[in-house]
Amino acid sequence: MKEMRRAIKPISIFLIISLVCISMPYGYASAAIIETEIAKDSIEGKQARNYILSVLAREEVQAVLTAQGIDSQEAKRRLDSLTDAEVIRFAKEIKQLPAGGGAFGTIVGAALIVFLVLLITDIMGFTDVFPFVKKHH
Amino acid sequence: MRLHGLVDIEVPNQFEIDDVPFFPQEAYQCGPATLSMALVWSGIQVEPETVAPEVFTPSIKGSLQSAITGAARRHGRIAYPITTIDSLVKELASGHPVIILQNLGLSWFPIWHYSLAIGYDLEDGFVILHSGRTSRKHLSLITFERTWDRSDHWGLLVLPPSQLPVTAEESEYISAVIGLEKTHHWSEALKGYQTALNRWSNSLRIYIGIGNCYYKLGDLKAAEAILRDANILFPNEGVVLNNLAQVLLEQGKYNEAHESVRKAIQLGGPLSHLYQKTFEEILFLKDTH
Repeated sequence: MKEMRRAIKPISIFLIISLVCISMPYGYASAAIIETEIAKDSIEGKQARNYILSVLAREEVQAVLTAQGIDSQEAKRRLDSLTDAEVIRFAKEIKQLPAGGGAFGTIVGAALIVFLVLLITDIMGFTDVFPFVKKHH
Repeated sequence: MRLHGLVDIEVPNQFEIDDVPFFPQEAYQCGPATLSMALVWSGIQVEPETVAPEVFTPSIKGSLQSAITGAARRHGRIAYPITTIDSLVKELASGHPVIILQNLGLSWFPIWHYSLAIGYDLEDGFVILHSGRTSRKHLSLITFERTWDRSDHWGLLVLPPSQLPVTAEESEYISAVIGLEKTHHWSEALKGYQTALNRWSNSLRIYIGIGNCYYKLGDLKAAEAILRDANILFPNEGVVLNNLAQVLLEQGKYNEAHESVRKAIQLGGPLSHLYQKTFEEILFLKDTH
């Protein structure tokens, strides 16, 4: 046992020194640089949020919302309660619709309006269609 | 002719990549054999026996998809998902072999099988696979589509970071490069971002990725330069200002670092608690120097 300890001792000292060396330069650095993955999620979350807001602001959508008795200001506030991941998923769903994505500037398809209204009523707690909408009980 | 409407894109009617090596598989070892073929094609010299411990799970007698993706990254390769028949054929037509997972059985009795797609023939309706113990196996496109459908269309490109998939989509590609960062392949990740920047020259995410790779490689000057470029293109981005502040700080440029992070905090946003941390650190180090 004693011999073993004697044999291990130089290794332990070496390990202690190398661990100190490894941790020194990164001690602060790892806490402060923002990793690409975190930056990416945050940037894409912001883009998706702006995209959905631009969809919400469209006249055709506003008209349907008003007809359903939904306050668009409240809808926007509910949108804020979604996480980046949820918003990114929404935006993706909208863009995959036939009239979504690039053509959206000119035409809003019937399917898109139905989807949006359900999405917004989901966020507002009137419906429960999409499992990815966060519910506040 | 477009076969049964399965493929709806403009590509040559038939194509086969002719320089893809073939490793016949041992029992249950389709994962390691297939990944090895893709890696060797991409320029990494491996054998199925050396790849097996990285992907094979003995208890399930197979290899999980996440393990295949992870192993490709551990060898410094871009692992990019392919999930539609159109993108599969497009990649093949541009000379990129694709790893595919099929369920040869049924949903309630699955028989999972990896193989490497190396070509196709739309005229006669088949795909060409390096599969099991057969090289250049012809499989009817209909059967292929059904068996691929039962694996939820799982497909994977394994590419050197200097080559972009022809079907690459920006966000998905950046995620693939982030996979290289996660396995600490900073040089390869840097190359991947630089390749991506050629296609998407105005991408904030790519600029941030390049900055981070230079930083991890210890090249603070290059990190500073790319982040300054990013700051000119995107003056109101807190992440750029924060990371620039950190890079300046580590070069002892305390005042500039302080100024940069102060701007980030002014902009606010969901990451402002991180900017605050950088700010406090800068103040601390500024005082002690």
